[in-house]
Amino acid sequence: MLSAYVDMIRIRFLMMLAYRVNYFSGIIIYTLNIGAYYFLWKAIYGGNDTLAGFTVLQMTTYIAISWMARAFYFNNLDREIANEIKDGSVAVQMIRPYQYLIVKMMQGLGEGLFRLLLFSAPGMIIITFLFPIQLPTDVMTWAIFMVMIFFSFLINSQINIMVGLFAFFVENNEGLMRMKRVAVDLFSGLIIPLSFFPLWAESILRWLPFQAITFLPASVFTGRVTGQQVYDALLTQVVWFIVLILPIVFIWRKSRQRLFVQGG
Amino acid sequence: MLAIEVENLRKEFRVQQNREGLKGAFRDLFKRRYNHVTAVENINFQIPKGEICGYIGENGAGKSTTIKMLTGILVPTSGKVVVNGYVPFQEREKYVKEIGVVFGQRSQLWWDIAVIESFQLLRKVYRVPEQDFKKRMDELVERLHLQEVLHRPVRKLSLGQRMRCELAASLLHNPSIVFLDEPTIGLDIVVKTEIRQFLKEMNKKYETTILLTTHDLQDIEALCSRVVMLDEGKIIYDGDLEQLKQRWGKGKEIVFHFAEAVNMQTLQQLTQGMEVKWQQDHPYEAKVWVPFEQENVSEVMRSVVSELNINDMKIIETNTDDIVREIYKSGSAETAGENHHA
Amino acid sequence: MYYATIFWDYTKTYMKTRMTYRADFIIEVLTNLAFQLMNLLFIIVVFQHTSFLGGWSREEIIFIYGYFMLPYGVFMTFFNLWDFTERYIVKGEMDRILTRPAYNLVQLMLENMNPSSLFGSLTGMLIMGYAWLQLDVTLQWYDPFVLLLFVAGSVMVYGGIYISITALSFFSDAPTGIHALMWNIQNYGRYPVNIYNKVIRFVLTWILPFAFVGIYPSAFFLDKEVTTLFSFLTPVVGLAFLTMGILIWNFGVRKYRGAGS
Repeated sequence: MLSAYVDMIRIRFLMMLAYRVNYFSGIIIYTLNIGAYYFLWKAIYGGNDTLAGFTVLQMTTYIAISWMARAFYFNNLDREIANEIKDGSVAVQMIRPYQYLIVKMMQGLGEGLFRLLLFSAPGMIIITFLFPIQLPTDVMTWAIFMVMIFFSFLINSQINIMVGLFAFFVENNEGLMRMKRVAVDLFSGLIIPLSFFPLWAESILRWLPFQAITFLPASVFTGRVTGQQVYDALLTQVVWFIVLILPIVFIWRKSRQRLFVQGG
Repeated sequence: MLAIEVENLRKEFRVQQNREGLKGAFRDLFKRRYNHVTAVENINFQIPKGEICGYIGENGAGKSTTIKMLTGILVPTSGKVVVNGYVPFQEREKYVKEIGVVFGQRSQLWWDIAVIESFQLLRKVYRVPEQDFKKRMDELVERLHLQEVLHRPVRKLSLGQRMRCELAASLLHNPSIVFLDEPTIGLDIVVKTEIRQFLKEMNKKYETTILLTTHDLQDIEALCSRVVMLDEGKIIYDGDLEQLKQRWGKGKEIVFHFAEAVNMQTLQQLTQGMEVKWQQDHPYEAKVWVPFEQENVSEVMRSVVSELNINDMKIIETNTDDIVREIYKSGSAETAGENHHA
Repeated sequence: MYYATIFWDYTKTYMKTRMTYRADFIIEVLTNLAFQLMNLLFIIVVFQHTSFLGGWSREEIIFIYGYFMLPYGVFMTFFNLWDFTERYIVKGEMDRILTRPAYNLVQLMLENMNPSSLFGSLTGMLIMGYAWLQLDVTLQWYDPFVLLLFVAGSVMVYGGIYISITALSFFSDAPTGIHALMWNIQNYGRYPVNIYNKVIRFVLTWILPFAFVGIYPSAFFLDKEVTTLFSFLTPVVGLAFLTMGILIWNFGVRKYRGAGS
C-alpha cells in the first residue's frame, strides 16, 4: 500500500517534468515576483534601516525564502478536488482501494518535491547573485527549516483539501477558492510579514493557521527567531497540522454521505 | 453535383515521445523527441449530393480526424478538401452555416436551461429568420417527438431524449450536409430505430447529404447506400454495401424454433451429405450455417421442415459485422476478396 | 450588429442559468469583492510604516487601486477562460465552438460571460471616489471621457495578455498553469514604476504591460506630469496587445488538434 502512495509521488514528479512551458516560465515568473517585491519593499523602507523589527537585509532574505518555500508548498489540490467532484469522477476514486485524500496529498507532494529540487534550489542560487540576501550558516537551521516547510506543505494542503471539498456543498466554489488563495498569500506572511500588521491584527493572525505556512519557517530561516523559540515555532506547526485533521475528517464524512445520497 | 470532394487528403500529428524513467524525463525537459503519426494518409473520395454515406473503421483508424477536417475543425497537412464549394478550414465561419454536426459523445446544448432556449440561442447564432425557424421547429418537434421535452433543462433529459434534441439542434438551420459522429452511441434499440427512420426521411425530403461514422453496423445497413471503410488512415473499401456483402458474405444462417425438443443428432442426420454447420443452445431452438457456394438454402430448409414440426424460422443474412471483422483481420478489402475467391 | 444580438441572447441565457443557482450568485459576488478588498489591505498595512511610496501618498496609491478595479471588472466579465485547456482542449469542447458560424473567441467569451464581476468595477469607482475626495486634485470636464478611453485601453491590455497566454494551450499538450503563476505579476503595475529597476520596469511596460492597467493611466488624473505621455499610450498599447493576442489566437486555432483520435 505504502509503495503505491510513493509511486504516486513519483508519477506526479514525472508529470511535472513533462510540462516544459510551465517549468521555464515558472522560473522566470518566480524571479520576477521576488524582484518586484524586493523593490517594492525597498521603496517602503525608503530611508529607514529597520521596520517592524526587520532590517533591510532580513527583509530581502525573508522575501526570497518565502517565495522559494511557496514553490514547494503551493499546489492546486483545491481546484483538482473541486473539478473531480463537479465532473463526478470522485465517485470512481472513492471506490478504489486507497484513501482519496491521501492520494491527493501524495500528488501534491510529488509536485512540491519537483519544484523544490528543480525550481527553488536553482532559483535560490540565481537569487543570491541578483539580490543581497543572507543565508544561514548553521546546518541545524537548514535542517529545521526543511522540516518546517514540510509542515507548511501539509498545512497548506489541508486547507486546500477543505476548500476543495466544499464543492460537494455549493454548486460553485470558485469565489471561495480565490479568496483562499489571497488569504494564504496575505495572512501567511508571504506578502507582508505578520509583524507589519497593526498589533490587534497581528494577534488575530497569530491564532490562525496561515502563519504556520510562511511566517514561521521564514522567521526561523532569517534568524529572527532563535533558541527555544525555534522549537516553539515548529510545535505550533505540528499542533495546527493535528488540529486541522479534525475538520477534514468531519467534512469528508459529510461529503461521503452526500455523495451516496445523491449518487454522485 | 458533388457535395464532398477529397483528394490526397493527409493529416499528420506530431506526438511527443517520452523517454523512460527519471533520467529520460530530465532529458525531455531540455530536448524533446517527436514522432510523426499519420492519422489520415492520402485518401480520396467523392460524395455526390443527397447521398448517405457510412464512414466506418476501428478506433484510431482516422474517422474522426477526417470528419474534423471536413468540418473545418482541423487543418489538413496536405491535400484538397472541398465541401459545398468551400475549403472548410479557410472559410470556416461562412461554411459551417450550411452544415450540421453532431458529436454523439458531446453536447451542444446548454446544460442548465430549457431545450427550447438552447434552440432559440442557436437560431440567433445561425441567423435563421424567425419564420423559417418556426416552420422548421414544428417539423422537427413532430418528427422527433420533442413536444414533452422542449421545456425541460437538458440535464434532466435521458440520453435518448438528449440525442434527439442534439439532432434537432444541428438541423435547425436546414443544413445541406450533415456530419454525424457516432449518433447512436449508447442508445437503446427503440431510439436508434427512430433516429434512423428520421434521418432517412430527412434525406429523402431535403436531399440532405449525410456522412456518418458509427460502430453500429446496423446504422449502416439501415441507412447507407455506400460505405467507406478506413484502416490505419487508408481507405480499404469504398462502394456499395450490397456488393460488399455479396463479395465477402460467406453464407446465410437459418434459425429454427421447434415445436418439440430436438437433439443435435437428429438435426445432423437430416442434413447428411450437406456442408452445413449446426449449432444448438436450447432443445427448442437451433441455428444452421449454410455456406454460399456449397449448398442451397431452400434445400436445407426443405429437409428440416419435411421431418420436424417447427413454429418459426428466420433467415439471417451474413452480418455486416462479421464481414467487417473479416476484412480487418486480413488487412485490406482487396486481399480479403481474393482469399475468398481463391 | 450580429454580434450585438447574440451578445444580448447570451446574456439572457446567462441570467436564466444564474436563476437556477441563486444562492451561489450572491456568494460569488461577495467572495469576489472580499477578494478584491484584501489587496487593498496590503496598501493600508504598508502605509502604516511609511507615508510615501516612491513619492506617492497612500491616497494616490488607493486611487490607482480603484482605477485598476474598473478595467479588471470588465475584463473578468468577458474573459472567464481560466480552465480553457481542461474544458475546451482536453475535453474537446472546442470542436463544437469551431462548427458554429461566429468568431470562436467571441463565442468562448460569451459562453463563459460572468457579469457578476462588474460589481468589482462598481467598487472600484467608489474607491476612486473616496481617494479623490481625500486628494487635492481638480476634476476637469474632460476627465470622464479620458477615463473611458483609458479604461477601454486597459481592458484591451488585459485582454491581449490573457488571450495570448490562453492561446498557448493550442501549442502545448500540457495544461498550462501559467495563469496561476501570472497572478501576482498583475499586482505590480499598481505601484509607481520608478521604484523598480530597469528590467522590471521594462517588463511591466512593454512585455506584460500591467503598468497600463494601473499606474500610467491613473497618473493622468492625479496630475502627475511625469507620466502623461505614458498615460496616453494606454489605448495605443491596448490596441497593439489586443491585436497581437488575436493574431496569436488565430494562429493557435489553426494548430488545434482536437481531442481523442
